[in-house]
Amino acid sequence: MNAFVTDKTLAPAGELEPAEREELLRVDNVSLSFGGVKAITDISFDILKGEIRAIIGPNGAGKTSMLNVINGFYHPQEGTITWRGKVRRKMKPYEAASQGIARTFQNVALFKGMTTLDNIMSGRSLKMHRNFFWQVLWRGPAENEEIEHRRKVEDIIDFLEIQAIRKTPVGRLPYGLQKRVELGRALAMEPELLLLDEPMAGMNLEEKEDMSRFIVDVNQEFGTTIALIEHDMGVVMDLSDRVVVLDYGKKIADGPPEEVQASQAVIDAYLGVSH
Amino acid sequence: MLYDIFIDPFVQMYDMPDFFLQVLWEGFVAGILYALIALGFVLIFKASGVFNFAQGIMVVFAGLTLVGLNENGIPAYLALALTIVAMGVLAYGVERVVMRPLVNQPDIILLMATIGLTYFLIGFGEFVFGGEPKQMITEQLGLPTGSTAIEMGERGLIILQHIDIAAAVIAVIMVTALGIFFNKTRIGRALRAVADDHQAALSVGISLNQIWAIVWFAAGLVALATGIMWGARSDVSFALEIVAFKALPVLILGGFTSIPGAIVGGLIIGFGEKIGELYWGGLVGGGIESWLAYIIALIFLLFRPQGLFGERIIERI
Repeated sequence: MNAFVTDKTLAPAGELEPAEREELLRVDNVSLSFGGVKAITDISFDILKGEIRAIIGPNGAGKTSMLNVINGFYHPQEGTITWRGKVRRKMKPYEAASQGIARTFQNVALFKGMTTLDNIMSGRSLKMHRNFFWQVLWRGPAENEEIEHRRKVEDIIDFLEIQAIRKTPVGRLPYGLQKRVELGRALAMEPELLLLDEPMAGMNLEEKEDMSRFIVDVNQEFGTTIALIEHDMGVVMDLSDRVVVLDYGKKIADGPPEEVQASQAVIDAYLGVSH
Repeated sequence: MLYDIFIDPFVQMYDMPDFFLQVLWEGFVAGILYALIALGFVLIFKASGVFNFAQGIMVVFAGLTLVGLNENGIPAYLALALTIVAMGVLAYGVERVVMRPLVNQPDIILLMATIGLTYFLIGFGEFVFGGEPKQMITEQLGLPTGSTAIEMGERGLIILQHIDIAAAVIAVIMVTALGIFFNKTRIGRALRAVADDHQAALSVGISLNQIWAIVWFAAGLVALATGIMWGARSDVSFALEIVAFKALPVLILGGFTSIPGAIVGGLIIGFGEKIGELYWGGLVGGGIESWLAYIIALIFLLFRPQGLFGERIIERI
């Protein structure tokens, strides 16, 4: 089960002990509620540059809410988010995107009528600097820019091995490939922090192996920091440098995979004890 | 009876080619004008997946603003510029007040919001400009008003209104400009992205607010052009709003998401209406022009629910 992941100790990022790495994002005492329902209660953790950070927990533990807070879909009532050493003000998702936070969604949010190529190109939106009036008035420079972006996108398509479906409308693709295209779109943003919400949900073993390989490659080759939510414990324990465990909107454990795995609170949360 | 339906109209077409060509021209002009209106709907539908109920009233509102400003002593071209600014303000206002609070709501909610906007604009328009029909300032804008007769040897002549020719030219220019704008720029891709999935669009860094403001502004410009052209043929009055719903069968034909579809759909409806009325209308006592378009659309719906050029709806189950 664990054999398919490349040995992480060879990774540049892996050479550093967690303590030596720079902090990319820190969440301090964040609480989020919808009306009377508390989704997240007083959670703090950090994400270090270059690591793969897993967020796990039973269903409804507040994992996706946490990602939504990080990328600006939700605004917590309490607590602060520190991004690259600065406390972040309340921020819209597209602003978070422009600061280098990309994400994928639990229930695949692709542009269904568009081709794989166009979907991934849409990830370049923020990188295209020629403003649109220029694009209409004077095509030359804008066209060159488009070609340059196109080259980057083709690289991503090669990387994810989806050349065969470049021109296929994504609505027609099987689920596993859709997830891969969604990852491609996020990668096209050249993010500093990549948030993956259950990247392997609903996949068979082979697809999971592929996806795991891509995640590790992204982390090692591009140095992208990754925060992922995943239910497959085998995958989580294999991929991640550190794991934070949520249950009922609270943090119950945080640390390296082995440590978390051994924690009594985590075992209770997963096996279920009366609260 | 069968002779009247299947043979006589064609005999007439052959016998009086000048009349037939005149009918075709009328159909062409009507089609172009329908296409212009439909274009406004398509723009907003593409960007938000919403049928913009207010497009018709926007046509009236743009026309009234233009004429109203001119009535108050502002020169025609300045009034035109100010009207464009007004449509910009309207677009920004709609985005700010109507669309922004409704991000991620079901389409039906947005549709209701555009109905609300319609009533607001009717009230506001009547309050500012009064409810009387107004004459379009065709000449002041430098649009031609005369007509040309083309002789066809001994077979009669065709009369072309200059304003109709101008309408056709302006429509072609607008459609081309919009086509380039939305197909060749990143805005086009962003637009489709926004229409497909709000959340995903936000997550890749597309600003919904910006896109919506741009699209509503573009729709406002189309409404202004439509208002001028329709207004020049009749008057600028609130009755025009109803005419705008002629765009519905056009949209069903052409597909809600396609700019070329709006044009082809408009032309089919335009030709169909005029030819149907003048050659077959007599059989049922005339007046079929007002509903024939819907019948044509209905028949198309049976065979191509997504319209001629609409995006196929693909859903994996």
